[in-house]
Amino acid sequence: MSVISLSGVGKRYVKYDDRPLLVNHLKFWHRTSRSDLWALRNVEFDIEPGESVGILGRNGAGKSTLLQLLAGVTAPTEGVVRVRGRVAPLLSVGVGFHPELTGRENVYVNGTVLGLEKGTIDRRFDAIVEFAELEKFIDTPVKFYSSGMFVRLGFAVAVEADPDILLVDEVLAVGDFAFQMRSFERMKEIRANGATLVTVSHNLNAIRGYCDRTVVLHEGGTAFDGPTFEGISRYYQLMGQAESDDPVEAQAQVREDREALELLAFDLVDEDGQPLGHVRTGDKAALRIEARARRDIPTPFVSLMISTEKRIVIYNDTNCETPFPPIRAGERVAMQVRLPLHLVTGGYFASATVNDGTLTDHVLIARTEPVSFYVTGRGLVSGVVDLGGEFSLGPVD
Amino acid sequence: MAEIGFELRGPGTPVGTLLLELWRARDVLWALARKDFYARYRRTMLGLLWAVGLPLVQAVVLAVVFTHIVRFASALRHSPQGEHVKYAVFLYAAIAAWSYFSTTMPTAATAIVDNGALARKIYFPRAIFPLLGVASGIYPLAISAGILLLLTVALQHSVSIDFLWVVPGCALTVAITAGFGLMLSALHVYFRDVRFIVQAVMSVLFYLSPIIYAVESAPGALRHVVGATPMAGPIELMRLAIGGADSNWPAIVAGGVGWFVATTAIGLWLQSRHDRVFVDLM
Repeated sequence: MSVISLSGVGKRYVKYDDRPLLVNHLKFWHRTSRSDLWALRNVEFDIEPGESVGILGRNGAGKSTLLQLLAGVTAPTEGVVRVRGRVAPLLSVGVGFHPELTGRENVYVNGTVLGLEKGTIDRRFDAIVEFAELEKFIDTPVKFYSSGMFVRLGFAVAVEADPDILLVDEVLAVGDFAFQMRSFERMKEIRANGATLVTVSHNLNAIRGYCDRTVVLHEGGTAFDGPTFEGISRYYQLMGQAESDDPVEAQAQVREDREALELLAFDLVDEDGQPLGHVRTGDKAALRIEARARRDIPTPFVSLMISTEKRIVIYNDTNCETPFPPIRAGERVAMQVRLPLHLVTGGYFASATVNDGTLTDHVLIARTEPVSFYVTGRGLVSGVVDLGGEFSLGPVD
Repeated sequence: MAEIGFELRGPGTPVGTLLLELWRARDVLWALARKDFYARYRRTMLGLLWAVGLPLVQAVVLAVVFTHIVRFASALRHSPQGEHVKYAVFLYAAIAAWSYFSTTMPTAATAIVDNGALARKIYFPRAIFPLLGVASGIYPLAISAGILLLLTVALQHSVSIDFLWVVPGCALTVAITAGFGLMLSALHVYFRDVRFIVQAVMSVLFYLSPIIYAVESAPGALRHVVGATPMAGPIELMRLAIGGADSNWPAIVAGGVGWFVATTAIGLWLQSRHDRVFVDLM
């Protein structure tokens, strides 16, 4: 049975445009101008125990409202929100901390607010302090804490509270790198124990790292609900960022024939043809386009683009000088571009177009949605590409 | 395992559900109330002594002023036991209840808005916020009651079993304050004027309540008004404890219970209608 279930959920906010002065109410001819704003409308989805779901959307798409509904902080105007289990919101952790009280006292207050009994807090206390790495400062008033210590303590209480549902809001970037890694591990453990995770973030890396499923909100409705990598592509689409850095595409802006080819799939796959969402630096991978021709395509070629998450194009390539053999009408083909991914840690996008003709005279016949993937790199390599440097020391000749 | 979780359809919460949620959140109430109480005296050199010290100073001042400086017996002339009741004790009995009401109620009335930051992040019944101040104020109220006992012994040289009336007296004080807190804190979310109305009404109410004078010393029709003010009931119970109650005290106390029932009923109704949507206006 679902832990979270939303059916037909709508949330309306009423905005009063003038001041609530008594004189305005006494004037019987005066009409208070109010306007309705639907932050969410007809939102439907279920989340099963143990799922990890990301919520994406532009500012004003309804993300915060949705999170508030899931936290039970506000109620829907229409529809039903059902939540089974104890919710721990990791929303601006440490709210309710009193600066004059010590870390220890705040752990008890905060734990109680999160629904823990005193005995439970007693038992988990050491684990909380250890996780937050505050053994030395636990009896210091939290006003002397650095912001990192403050957030670590709040985070530790929330994750050690063993919630059934953890609501995460842009909080994953707290603490230093080591703490982030431990948070990541801890959240994996929590999920392994069957808890459900809902993450709202603009940080696509976080969503990609934590979530199997993503709901994309757009103008108060659900624009997408499905696998994360597709969700992220959809999100980019809604952000209105079109690809246009591609020289091949630049040549063909006038001529398009989207009827010529039916795209069946576009994936990053490994050597066995299995889809890849996650790659290690240097992994051999292939971008694979599966399509069915609706008419004869005499000189098909592919143009490919890979960009970083910040939309910096790092690789453009095309086989327009050595096109594929002709594709007959009705034929199903798989076009592949094999490439080793010498990239550093981070999120990337790949997209491709299929064209017919030559570079200077071609028709664009299909454009894929961008596919996203995440690369885990070697240790301390940073930059954009991993050139695989070999370090050595030897005597001078 | 008891079913944890919630189901939300529409803005209202049935009163029964609200009461259940409140019962479940009782630990939160005490944890937050204790936090408030202790945090208040943190970083002060005398610490918790202030909780006893302040009302003690007040009581000593009253005792000195009204036994050595001002001989002010006229206020008690109509009181049946007036002869034995010292004015300072008579006054302090009322002030113990009044100072709880006058410091707690305005805070409770604005509590939901004032705790907006917490309210936006996590759910527990919003009625907890006004009840927080009401609960944390119980410690100083109890201390005041203790000091009233000391003052009675010191000035009247006798104390009877009647002193136990302070228990219902304090209870009714807390109950009425809670009722007003529930009602006004809900209204304040929608009408921010409440904060100032409360301030204005409190200053009028101080003189309209039988604090510095006895109900019977009020002239004519005004006597009924004085007896019907919200705090008159608890004050009469406190005065029953020190032997200086009005002859008409049962009716006045019944009035106090009436205030409690009315404000609590309206308060719970408002809270249940708006519990989960207060946040939308903050």
